[in-house]
Amino acid sequence: MSDLVFPIVFPLLAAAAILLLRRGAAILALAGVALSLAASLRLLGATASGDSAPLVLPGLPDLPLRLTAEPLTALFSVLVAAVATCVLIYSVGYMKRESGLPRFFALMSLFVAAMQALVLAGDWILVLVAWELIGLCSYLLIGFWFQRPEAANAASRAFLYTRSADLGLYIAIFILIGAAGTSQIAATLNVDGGTAVAAGLLLLLAAMGKSAQVPLQDWLMRAMAGPTPVSALLHSATLVAAGAILLIRVAPLLAPNVLLAIGLVGGITTVAAGLIALAERDLKRLLAASTASQYGLMLIAVGAGVPLAALLHLLAHAAIKSGLFLATGEFQHARGGTALRCLRGVGRDRRWTFLGFALAAMALVGAPPLSGFFSKDAVIAAALSAPSTAWLAPLALAGTLLTGAYLARALRMLWLEREEGESESRPVAGARWMGVGVWALVIPAVFLGLTFGPIEALLGLPGPEAHGTTAMLFGLLAAVVGLALGWLVPAPRLLGPFHPWAQSGLVIAGGLTFWIGRPAMAIAYGCQRLERGLYATVLSVGRGGLFIARGCGRVERGLYAAVLCTGRASLAVAHLVRVGDERRIDGLIFSLVAGVRGWGDRARSLQSGWIHHSLAISAVVTAVTLIILLSASLSF
Amino acid sequence: MLPVVSLTLFLPLAGAVLILALPRPTARTVHSIGIGTAGLTLVGALAMWLEGVSGAGFSQVEELEWIPAIGAAYRVGVDGISLPLVLLSAMLFLVAFIYASSLRERPRAYVALVLLLETAAIGTFTALDGILFYVFFEVSLVSMYFMIAGWGHEDRQRAALMFFIYTLLGSLPLLLAILGLYLGSPDPSFDMRAWIANPPLEGAAAMWALVAMLVTFAVKIPAVPLHTWLPAAHVQAPTIGSVILAGIMLKFGTYGLVRFALQMTPEAFREAGVVVLVFGVIGALYGAFAALAQTDLKRLVAYTSINHMGYVIIGVAVAALTLDPSVRATALDGAVLQMFSHGLVTGALFFLVGMIQERAHTREMGEFGGLLKTVPLLGWSFMLAAFASLGLPGLAHFPAEFQIFLSTLGTVPAAVVAILGIAIIAGTFLKAIRETFLGEPQQRWHSMPDLSVRELLAVAPLLVLTLVTGVAPSWVLDIIHRTTSALVL
Repeated sequence: MSDLVFPIVFPLLAAAAILLLRRGAAILALAGVALSLAASLRLLGATASGDSAPLVLPGLPDLPLRLTAEPLTALFSVLVAAVATCVLIYSVGYMKRESGLPRFFALMSLFVAAMQALVLAGDWILVLVAWELIGLCSYLLIGFWFQRPEAANAASRAFLYTRSADLGLYIAIFILIGAAGTSQIAATLNVDGGTAVAAGLLLLLAAMGKSAQVPLQDWLMRAMAGPTPVSALLHSATLVAAGAILLIRVAPLLAPNVLLAIGLVGGITTVAAGLIALAERDLKRLLAASTASQYGLMLIAVGAGVPLAALLHLLAHAAIKSGLFLATGEFQHARGGTALRCLRGVGRDRRWTFLGFALAAMALVGAPPLSGFFSKDAVIAAALSAPSTAWLAPLALAGTLLTGAYLARALRMLWLEREEGESESRPVAGARWMGVGVWALVIPAVFLGLTFGPIEALLGLPGPEAHGTTAMLFGLLAAVVGLALGWLVPAPRLLGPFHPWAQSGLVIAGGLTFWIGRPAMAIAYGCQRLERGLYATVLSVGRGGLFIARGCGRVERGLYAAVLCTGRASLAVAHLVRVGDERRIDGLIFSLVAGVRGWGDRARSLQSGWIHHSLAISAVVTAVTLIILLSASLSF
Repeated sequence: MLPVVSLTLFLPLAGAVLILALPRPTARTVHSIGIGTAGLTLVGALAMWLEGVSGAGFSQVEELEWIPAIGAAYRVGVDGISLPLVLLSAMLFLVAFIYASSLRERPRAYVALVLLLETAAIGTFTALDGILFYVFFEVSLVSMYFMIAGWGHEDRQRAALMFFIYTLLGSLPLLLAILGLYLGSPDPSFDMRAWIANPPLEGAAAMWALVAMLVTFAVKIPAVPLHTWLPAAHVQAPTIGSVILAGIMLKFGTYGLVRFALQMTPEAFREAGVVVLVFGVIGALYGAFAALAQTDLKRLVAYTSINHMGYVIIGVAVAALTLDPSVRATALDGAVLQMFSHGLVTGALFFLVGMIQERAHTREMGEFGGLLKTVPLLGWSFMLAAFASLGLPGLAHFPAEFQIFLSTLGTVPAAVVAILGIAIIAGTFLKAIRETFLGEPQQRWHSMPDLSVRELLAVAPLLVLTLVTGVAPSWVLDIIHRTTSALVL
């Protein structure tokens, strides 16, 4: 068996074992992801030394499933497993007081397995399978507390948004398989012309759904109704990351105009989501908006034609954002909520966690020498070197500035003195597990920049062409300005008239619910009305048939009566005839008898003794008898 | 050599006769005979499955003279298109008998009727003679009529009558088409193999025959706008009736579409393919939207059937339109697998909805809420079946729909608009799940019992097969593909 299956199989087995045993869930899940991480690292080592063969699995006729390990996919695999391991360690503490743990840990394991399948997939069908399964796992995890209506709604919304956008992936895959004649990803990346443009735009649609790009950003904020470790995993290495990972992998396919579209979508999102984050009143939702904004930056890099920059930012963001979420989860347990107002001053109570949060936040802002500094630098350099730099560079810098602003605002709220009358921090159960999880992510968030050089060498992807110094200066300037604005100026004043709009999630004219949800329901109810009409028509046709049948029935009854009368009449006639016949024959016989007697009397007188006389009489009588008998037999 | 096909075909009938012959059997005896016979039938179907099919033409053919004067004979056999449907029927009937084993209302007639229906179903799929096919096709109708009329819900008489008249009128054109094929063949015979090998009709005659068949099968499938009997029948039918109606009897239509329309009038079908395709697309989208508007769980599932059958129509139409044999094989693989998967998934869904109705005496989703907490087994089973129905990968519908859409995009790109259906169906089921199973549990359903062993035995095999077929579809597709890849039209 190939090494390729192990990163997928271990968490899958863990999920199955948890569901079957229903005990030791946390240990099993941890073992599953830890083994998956080991297998991924082994795979990365193997690919680095150029030693890996694709694995072909049975699938559909003529379309087998494939797993491949290239340096890029192996790197993603390590990322997934590493983040998942930290998050699961943290979850042991975070979920300590919850019920339904087997379900939670089994789903988390399945989630990791599906994501590993997505990054290691070597053909489009497996990508699609994993892509949709990730959606399912997120649905079930966001809705983990399914008794809460907001969790049930958020889960449904997340699945529906991403599934609708997934139609883009479906059609793109059909186009690519149709053009290349195979479902192998590597072989389909060579198509060009109109096919490549169509496929590229459709892939962008799918990625927009998963990575919560404008206008499909709304579900991500609501998804915060799920448990915090789920958010951490979702935002850094699985569901949301899947969109960016997809675009990074198909970068060779993307035509120039598709690149421009990707860059613009990313640019608009990074600014819009940044504004939303700045206006947000809830720390988790702020971080969610920040995620959309950061993925916008990655899309800018892809759109600028430098997927390497997107990849570096993806790696840095994975460690940073999961660290931020995990720290937030601890604050949440300390204060019983995530609204910024109720978290005020929590940083002073939980200093170690706050330190981790602050380090990760500064890394995301792009403070040197933390990881985000290098990755954001690469993104800005890419935007500056792109053909469409006039669009992309200002948007990327605005996104960077906003990052500084909303994170400064969050940090300030966490550090400010608690006001009188507000809730105090409670002791947190399972804090040790949670602390380990947080710091296991914050440390890479700080130092990950050191690995970027080797990663570039490993992947052999081209970096941004030049503008290194300019990018660094602009990036630093934007970050500092952002930090200062966010710390010093309250958000309502900063946003001015935009503030209420940003707070509502920049919903444009009712949002997608209005533009897609309502028409869909309207069509559905239209169909329902049509349906009733059709049913009524069929019924009335049926009734018409019955009416005609009833008419026919009446005619039938008339006919029946007529037939009956005729029948009766003929019967009566027959009766009469029979009666007549009987009378006549009886009469005949009686008269015959009487006649015979008379004839007898006469005969006596005729017995004259004369032979000739007697003979003559006998002959006449015989003849008459014969005639009578003959006529009687004929009359029957 | 045992005549396995005939044994499998007539075992249920023998069981029915046995039940009717027994003097005053207890309900227990009757149900045991039902389950035992269906179990043996499944063994027979599995034996047929292991025997497999050869590439071209039919396998395991058994033949007996019947009415030699007109060339009608008893001919049965299977190929890769019918064999999965035979297996599906045998499985669904077995779990249906298990589910029905609690029935105490005239069980003798009920079980005998369902056994008769089983013979009719397997007969429809295995018949290789025009007359024989028509006989089985009609017998199934009669048994289903009595089932709805005798054991259905409150308004059952009307629904049963509507179902009967609709489908009976619908099946008359098929009789004409069969007679046309008979008269058109050079050597008058009702042998379907001969009709497939050398399509007897040409030109306008073929087109008329095709139109006649399409009418019949469109009623049976059912295709919009001839579908109105379906929701009405489902709402009134007893649970078993719905399971068999949706799981098996709808496939008579799609099976006939392939076996008769596509294989016996291929040229005409190619000409009319676009029209059929349009009906398929409309049916898929209309069914999806109509399902979205439902609040009654059973009606909802009934409309998703119309949507799924729409995909089958699309697949068959694409197979007729394409000139590339490999694309045709893909389209038909998808269409046949979709029939199989739909039987499993919709069968399970109707069982589960029936279980909910038995407990709550309502199917309105607005009346429920939070049932996942109260009846977790039932809830998770429903969620699994619902996600299978909305085409989630790893479950049975995905490979089928993938193949159908893949071949559609390569042949008639515009028709791929039907793929919107999978998003709408997703919305439909998410809404149903949210309203019924998620949210705050309601006080009035707190004492609702979870699945019993009997119910679990009925629904679990279908769910396991749904998962197996989704993860490793090759176990069915290998058989299907052997025939579809050798198909010459």
